[in-house]
Amino acid sequence: MKFTKDSAIERAKQDLAKRLGVDENEISQSRVVDREFSDMSLGAAPDGEMAAQMLVSGWQIVLSAGGKEYDYRADKHQLRLHNFNGSNYVIQY
Amino acid sequence: MSAARRAGSNNHFILRVTLFPMRFWSSKMNRNNIWIHITIAVVVVTIAAVLGQINRWEKSLRVGDVKVVDTMSRVSAKHDPAADVLIKFRPGVSLDRIRQIASRNNDRLDDEIEAVNGLVSLDDMDDADASVVAAQYSRMSDIVLYAEVNGQVSLDDPPDSYSKQDLLERGGVNAKPNDPDFDQQWGQDNTGQDGGKPGADIDSLEAWKTTQGSKDVVVAVLDSGVDYKHVDLRSNIWIRPDSVPAYYDDELGEFNDEVGYNGVEPLSDPMDDNGHGTHCAGIIGAEGDNDEGIAGINWNVQVMPLKFLGRGGFGTTADAIKAINYAIDRKKNGVNLRVINASWGSTQNSKALEDTIRAAGDAGILFVAAAGNNGTDNDKRPHFPSNYDLPNVLSVAATDRTDALTSFSNFGIKTVHIAAPGRDIESTWLGDAYRDASGTSMAAPHVAGVAALILSNEPNLTVAQLRERLLKSVDKLPNMAGKVSSGGRLNAAKALEN
Repeated sequence: MKFTKDSAIERAKQDLAKRLGVDENEISQSRVVDREFSDMSLGAAPDGEMAAQMLVSGWQIVLSAGGKEYDYRADKHQLRLHNFNGSNYVIQY
Repeated sequence: MSAARRAGSNNHFILRVTLFPMRFWSSKMNRNNIWIHITIAVVVVTIAAVLGQINRWEKSLRVGDVKVVDTMSRVSAKHDPAADVLIKFRPGVSLDRIRQIASRNNDRLDDEIEAVNGLVSLDDMDDADASVVAAQYSRMSDIVLYAEVNGQVSLDDPPDSYSKQDLLERGGVNAKPNDPDFDQQWGQDNTGQDGGKPGADIDSLEAWKTTQGSKDVVVAVLDSGVDYKHVDLRSNIWIRPDSVPAYYDDELGEFNDEVGYNGVEPLSDPMDDNGHGTHCAGIIGAEGDNDEGIAGINWNVQVMPLKFLGRGGFGTTADAIKAINYAIDRKKNGVNLRVINASWGSTQNSKALEDTIRAAGDAGILFVAAAGNNGTDNDKRPHFPSNYDLPNVLSVAATDRTDALTSFSNFGIKTVHIAAPGRDIESTWLGDAYRDASGTSMAAPHVAGVAALILSNEPNLTVAQLRERLLKSVDKLPNMAGKVSSGGRLNAAKALEN
């Protein structure tokens, strides 16, 4: 899988809709920013994961649903969800 | 695991049995009674789940014949589909007994970490929550010292293969030894290029007057593998000598370890599919003065690839432990492996990883670790493995071309020991390419490389002597005071002085 910014946003919306059990139409895009992440886990390592400590460029995709914001992070090769109910998730790579 | 988890399987049976009449009823459903049926279904499923959990608790009480404390609070709601648990048993508990205990709990002995007495990894065979499995073993305190979860990466979709073009695009194709890109290697020789500060480097040119490395020294790159076919690396890749037997693990079977270790796919060689490990390897040991690319700190050395990070650049603690165990085994089989470079980490502590790195130290191996890239104080917010307070661990922060601590680098006067170049570092990448990269990932191999350079000149130094030499020979920098314990940045030339 190789992500573009748009395909990462699309995939993040799909994931969030599935997670929350809502329709994708109920999810809005708060902001998407180009960002440099601290490591190859995009600063969103799940428990027990070790990540290469190299800076990588990607996108922070903040989505909103039901009055709450959700922090997705992506680069060309992966999509993650940061701090969802206290945990990080690898959505796709 | 266990009958308790088998109870989980029983739940499926209970569900199948109870759902059968529901199917029958469903044929008679109509809009008037559907809510009655739904209510019945919810009640049945809830009862089945409770029964399964009760069975688990009963089994927990039986296993190990130890008192169960606060069982309820240990049941995690998080489901880990590929639980893998690291357990250290007390001395005297035989492997056979461990197998029996695992079997009784419907677990499988995945691997014995031979380097650490009593440490094993277990696979859970029933998809139970790993934290529950770890808690269950923790309660066997008469035979277990500790049990911890090895986190696994779970994916919604399997990863696709990368094409060669993807890999090239990801990487970017971008003595004085005659290597044509040497003038970009400010970390080795800073002439003020690109706004740098002349002399803000590790003084490689001066060091190379003494030694350019030796093929007698083996440095392991514990990472995403190494592109061992890279034109600037291939002559410096470790090849298992005929005198060293192929690696065979009782639990994992035979490995293809002719040029290193692959813990991600044991039957495959450790070819890099990410690029990060190849970058680190180039800093340590790209062939020097070969009219090609860059010069490694060691023009001559043996780089042993140990792959545990996957193509995404991340991996599990258990796989890191197994790879270190492999390195120790090779050392004990006569390989002159003296340094492991670890350009990775996380904020999660693992006693098992610490014990394994300690064992590497006992075997005479220096462990050089990246301090992390959060720009935070490791004394207050620990980063591992760099924070392990072990006599063979060196934690490395990153400097830029002006000798300043980079904004991203972690620091810590107690827990970070030395700084080294880590921003805009040019090195080897996949597919005979080169690129620059930034991170404490890049700083650590500078230290590992200089450690190898010292050993090429003084092969009999102990780990303690080697570590002390690196720390005492730094260029003291005012802006490093209070940031790293040595108060300075690596200097290869000074490190070679007795």
